[in-house]
Amino acid sequence: MKSREEEYREIFMVEALEYYDAMSRHISELEKNPADAAALNELFRLMHNLKANARAMGYPAISEVAHRMETIFGLIRDKERTFEGNVVPVLFTGVDTIGEMIRAVGAGNELPSADTLLANLDRLVNGEEPILEDQPEADDDDANRKLELSDLVYIQIKKLDHLMNLVGELIIDRDRILTLSKESDSPALQATAAHLFRISDELQYSIMDVRLVNVGSLFNKFPRVVRDVAAAEKKDIALEVDGQDIQIDRNILQIITDSLLHLVRNAIGHGIEAPAVREQAGKPAQGQLTLAAQTERDNVLIQVSDDGAGINVDSVRRKAVERGLVSAEAAQQLDDDAVRAFLFEPGFSMAKEITDISGRGVGLDVVKLAIDSLGGQLRVSSTLGKGTTFTLVLPTSIAVKGALLFELDARSYAIPLMHTDSVVSLQPEDLHVVGGLLLAEVQDENVPVVDLRRLLHNGDGPLPPANRHELQGRQDIIIVNYNNRKLGLIIDRFLRQQSIVIKPMSKPLDTIDLFGGVTLLGSGQVCLVLDVPALTRLFLAKRP
Amino acid sequence: MADTDNATNEKKTTKQEPLIQLIVFRLGDEDYGIRIEQVKEVTLTPEIARMPKTPDFVKGIANLRGDIITIIDLEERFQLRSAGTEMPAVSYTMAIEGKEYTIGIVVREVPQPLSIPASIIEKAPEFIQDINIHDKYIEGIAKVNGRIIVVLDMLKLLTPAEIMQLPAKS
Repeated sequence: MKSREEEYREIFMVEALEYYDAMSRHISELEKNPADAAALNELFRLMHNLKANARAMGYPAISEVAHRMETIFGLIRDKERTFEGNVVPVLFTGVDTIGEMIRAVGAGNELPSADTLLANLDRLVNGEEPILEDQPEADDDDANRKLELSDLVYIQIKKLDHLMNLVGELIIDRDRILTLSKESDSPALQATAAHLFRISDELQYSIMDVRLVNVGSLFNKFPRVVRDVAAAEKKDIALEVDGQDIQIDRNILQIITDSLLHLVRNAIGHGIEAPAVREQAGKPAQGQLTLAAQTERDNVLIQVSDDGAGINVDSVRRKAVERGLVSAEAAQQLDDDAVRAFLFEPGFSMAKEITDISGRGVGLDVVKLAIDSLGGQLRVSSTLGKGTTFTLVLPTSIAVKGALLFELDARSYAIPLMHTDSVVSLQPEDLHVVGGLLLAEVQDENVPVVDLRRLLHNGDGPLPPANRHELQGRQDIIIVNYNNRKLGLIIDRFLRQQSIVIKPMSKPLDTIDLFGGVTLLGSGQVCLVLDVPALTRLFLAKRP
Repeated sequence: MADTDNATNEKKTTKQEPLIQLIVFRLGDEDYGIRIEQVKEVTLTPEIARMPKTPDFVKGIANLRGDIITIIDLEERFQLRSAGTEMPAVSYTMAIEGKEYTIGIVVREVPQPLSIPASIIEKAPEFIQDINIHDKYIEGIAKVNGRIIVVLDMLKLLTPAEIMQLPAKS
């Protein structure tokens, strides 16, 4: 994994070499037509940018040359000098020297001395004649000059998306070939298939790797955001950023950009109190906001933490009852995590009054949807008076997801592992009927259980009340978890755990949100991927 | 092929009249035609995965060379099949390329190409509505050697609204 400095240095190199190429081009144009104002302006601008970049990166020698060159191009632009006579070779030497210096930085060599050049540039600025040395070797240098291309390429993300899709298809076909080869009796075919497996695996990971960017490329935009929002809200905020080196798929970072912005604005606007209020509460006047990234197994966790007022669980509970999301009795039974989960309910936060619940809310459901669309999770933890932490659990890469495959009515289905809590097999007597719902005790927790077949194929009406006598023999149950709600799904048979490439549901069936997409199994069979958030919503809407 | 010969003869008699090519298939007891440019390919019906929460005539989704397409049964959609009869075990699927997506239509027999002069397609009469077909999908009716072919405009039939909202009406 590259360090940030290394990454910055590479970017500097790419830009500097581009500047150098453009300078060479423009100065040649200027030589042909000394009155070319556009070329002159470009040269002035390029020198100025290179000066700033080189200074920021700690290359004063390059910055110094660029600075004097900029001065002279400025004088030429202001008609105080003309691009003719001895000025021309000095400036060409200047551009060449810049090129050599940049290449030396790239190769990690010592920078060539530019003293003669700097002296000549000074003479030009002061209106003196430059001292041109006869350098026959220099001509040799020119003739033998190597043309160099940058070591880095810019690629449009859509080209990478295309590659990613292609490799996804390849993986599917590969799995098919592997299955077919195992059925055949040809050892040669099996060996080739095994090789194909390894190669395409590596290809897939390489392409995923190419798409990874540092979380820092997003985090680094936040100091400014925090400063502006804090100023507008009249708050004093210190921002701490951590884990910029963590890598994640560029498109995932793109999708969470708005969510992160939202959470940061919320934290400053509503989470962290005004300085006077903080001092009264015995906290330092300056609020602390932390953006942190870390990896956890295959996931990336991004946390937005503040040391503000925290979320008042009782207010949220009251609000949820007022809005009819839960009955007053049931609300008393819910633990704090379950209550805070209401904050992510669509529309819950739309009400203006919510601001008295430390104002969490405006559009948290939108944040939740964005994270859901990635197959991620949004969690919140909070201590009243101490602060709030939002955690975004994100996949590292969009394309490949771990999934649990199971069978229902002789068809294969998949559930992303991200949303599966556990799998259990229970006898009918382990299940209890409460209020028309089946309940199972799993890890000391009562979890509602529903027959997935019923849930999927029951038409539009509510589910019929559960009846334990319909259950015959051992029941295989997948416990899924969404928004702190657990739900058990009775299925026919567990199959296996597998990495799958999810294809989005094609039109016109993409309006059916129960399925996050489809995947093709090694046999070529189409396998529907269940969307746990939508399934949970369907269950809540249909429960008897 | 006989159909092609017919078409060539007609072409001569009608002097350079523009020909259109149809893919003709059977639904219930009638012949239907789709302009060939709307048909991407014809294949043996692949294995179909049933999609819950869709109208009955949407058979499900299938893998067609790596593309996941929706498969629909027009006999069921138009109620052209007497109750109880099912599609045969071996059927064919025409992949129809719409504006935004491809859809598969299952048919019992292998669809056949047929060239006809554009002018013999007559506008559909009003009474067609009586047999449960919304007339806007019907581009017209062609009479070829005594056969009647209902020419469908698939692009109008395959809009997402048509496919997904129809069950609400029934």
